[in-house]
Amino acid sequence: MEFNVVISGVGGQGILTAEHLLAQTALRKGYKVRAGEIHGLAQRFGSVVAFVRFGETVYGGSVPDGMGDLILGFEPVETMRYINFVKDGGVAIVNTKKIPPVQVSMGLYEYPSWDEIKFWLSERNIKLIGIPAEDLALKAGSALAVNTVMVGAAIKLGLLPFEPEDIKDTIKEIFPAKLHDLNFKAFDLGYEAEPEIA
Amino acid sequence: MARIGTILGEPGERLLLMGNEAIARGVLEADAAVASTYPGTPSSEILMVLSEVAPKVGLYAEYSTNEKVAFEVALAASWNGLRSVVTMKHVGLNVAADSFMSAAYQGTKGGMVVVTADDPSMWSSQNEQDNRMYAMFANVPVLDPMDPQEALEMTKYAFQLSEEVGSLVMLRPTTRVSHTRADVKIGDLPENKKNAVRLWGHFEKNPEKYVVLPSRARRMHPEVLERIEKAREILENAPFNWEEGSGEIGIIVSGISYVYLKEALHKLGIEDKVSILKIGTPFPLPLKKVESFLRKFEGGKVLVIEELEPIVENQIKVLVYDKGINVEIHGKDYIPRIYEMTTRRIIEALEKYLGMKHDVDFAAIDEHFKKVSEKLPPRPPTLCPACPHRNTFYAIKRNAKGKGIYTGDIGCYSLGALKPLETMDTIVSMGASIGLGTGMAHAQKDKRVYAIIGDSTFFHTGLSALANAVYNKAPMTVVVLDNRITAMTGHQPDPSTGLTATMEPTKFIDIAEIAKAMGADYVAVVDSYDIPELLKVLEEADKHQVAVVVSRQPCSLLRTRIQRKKGESWPLYQVDPDKCTGCKVCINAHGCPAISFDKEKNVAVIDEVMCWGCSGCAQVCPFDAIYEKLPDGGRKYDVLDEENKRRWQQWNSML
Repeated sequence: MEFNVVISGVGGQGILTAEHLLAQTALRKGYKVRAGEIHGLAQRFGSVVAFVRFGETVYGGSVPDGMGDLILGFEPVETMRYINFVKDGGVAIVNTKKIPPVQVSMGLYEYPSWDEIKFWLSERNIKLIGIPAEDLALKAGSALAVNTVMVGAAIKLGLLPFEPEDIKDTIKEIFPAKLHDLNFKAFDLGYEAEPEIA
Repeated sequence: MARIGTILGEPGERLLLMGNEAIARGVLEADAAVASTYPGTPSSEILMVLSEVAPKVGLYAEYSTNEKVAFEVALAASWNGLRSVVTMKHVGLNVAADSFMSAAYQGTKGGMVVVTADDPSMWSSQNEQDNRMYAMFANVPVLDPMDPQEALEMTKYAFQLSEEVGSLVMLRPTTRVSHTRADVKIGDLPENKKNAVRLWGHFEKNPEKYVVLPSRARRMHPEVLERIEKAREILENAPFNWEEGSGEIGIIVSGISYVYLKEALHKLGIEDKVSILKIGTPFPLPLKKVESFLRKFEGGKVLVIEELEPIVENQIKVLVYDKGINVEIHGKDYIPRIYEMTTRRIIEALEKYLGMKHDVDFAAIDEHFKKVSEKLPPRPPTLCPACPHRNTFYAIKRNAKGKGIYTGDIGCYSLGALKPLETMDTIVSMGASIGLGTGMAHAQKDKRVYAIIGDSTFFHTGLSALANAVYNKAPMTVVVLDNRITAMTGHQPDPSTGLTATMEPTKFIDIAEIAKAMGADYVAVVDSYDIPELLKVLEEADKHQVAVVVSRQPCSLLRTRIQRKKGESWPLYQVDPDKCTGCKVCINAHGCPAISFDKEKNVAVIDEVMCWGCSGCAQVCPFDAIYEKLPDGGRKYDVLDEENKRRWQQWNSML
């Protein structure tokens, strides 16, 4: 059994931390782990993708096209930009907060509508779960906790072999103590979130 | 932010380590005494973690001003009998090559490892040169790790090999090794490291070796060839080259391609039908091992799989010819020579090579993806909110009024080449802005030349180019975007920071003072957050021959991080919808990612979460429609008042 998670969004949204949270949990649960990321120029508010793969056997750090079980999309357009990595019949958990790229603000491009996004996902039978992750993160105490909210929603889905306590243990392990409560709350809000768009 | 994974675990412990962290762990396990670098993606984290732990393990770690200097620092350590490592990105070796090529002749004393991280697919680079070629060029052994665990083992092995042979040894991870996190089993640390013992060497003078005059170099060249053959003998038994499987399909695979191959075979369900020769030492190739593998396929064919250039493949083709082995060798006729390797690329190559079909329909995914992608707005990386460079670019462009040539350089500010700023006409290599600018000034005279360079890049290779510009009287304005740090690669300190790699205070070297000392005709320092002042200074600079304008303000990403830690806040700017006319100057001429446009209401909108408080947008707004939202709910429209200028000064002295 192998698990392939794709995480995408805008540089600065905490994608690498979400990756770290899942990868560290998988490691503690005894799985072999590979997590892939890109650093440097690509991180500066541009489009970012990371991968977490774990199981009894794992190979490279990148999920091959069409083999991701799940995508955690921190932004709607950035979800679609990496949809090729998701398998037919997979799941897309999407933060519904749109961040228009400068090119859209300049009027050079249109931001796609939810109807379009829903249609594209339905064409490949990918299930959409849209949650207001940024609002929930703010409710937990900081917009920077979007990543933990998204991880909470992913665990709720039941596709990954982790219990909420497993993630909370990792939160304790990798975050400084003063951020524990905030992230526990963010996790719970993500876990309990009702899909806003589906 | 999650705490960075520590590399100081207990022996036998499994840690989640990035490839670069695994290499750093290997450096410590090998008891290296000196580590130096000029940071560059994808290599930067090696020294970041080493400098973090350096005081605890007695390691000397330094950020050098460029790769050549870094190389020389490590080389001297080796010549003092210490183990040393120098790390850099692949193109960094181009800068260090002069010393690297000489040192390949002169040899080492203490083990010395040169880590150059290649960047196939150019995620953060100007090319995807394959540095295994450099190893062949210099006759230096190169190790090519497949994953973080092997990167750790190879690092330790490389020191040993270096000492056995007396040669530099290159370790060449690629982006997907350097930046993949994996479960890595760590080994033991030597007593010196456990007890934080700083090792000191001893320099025994030996001019025959260390002074490379022509007569001595002639004597050294045959020694270089002897060393590489000795290394080949040793590498025949290296644990990184092995055979596995006994199927009838013969495949030779090098480096990271091995893990993709294993996955591809698994997906295709043909794991038991292949025999694999895995290569971890692409140069010098263990020819005996390769020959014995090839002999099993006489009368048949063997496929060679490697990322980028056909380094292993070509050596094998020579071997087949020399030894008269009757095997067809395939490689780059099936495996792409450009961009990074993927599992999919190997699946597709094997489908063609073996005439079979995989069950995932890549063509259908591609077709759907192409259709979707065409509708998606692009999102290239962009300067951060409140990035001081944005104001400087805006001012340079506005001052030049269409009559400027902008020679650019390498750093976050390379993004000034993109929309909407588009204030960069050339980018070539580190420090090239000033050299190119000098050439531009002597090759045409209808436009003023603006060479745009960052502080770290200025110290890297801009210094000698500025001396050249002054010396050769090139009319130009050199604009130094001084954010006091090497921002793009993860905020490593440089001579403009006032801190060393281990965060000890050191001299702050003022670029403006350097420019004055070099004899520049006009030198000014200006706060990047003060646009009217920037415009005034740039206009004055145009009247002089060689002018140097230092636009200074710390990186906003770093500043806000420090402020968050201290519990400080920054001002928030908002758009007054009653005054905003929807002219979009803030978006089309300035372009902060915190600003978007509400088409229905025809007004600009500032995202509260993303605004980092620089006021740049308010300064460029022609209708004074952007104000500072005061804590009491009031509005301040005069964003250039004394209070704000004092605040920027305070930020400027934060580092």
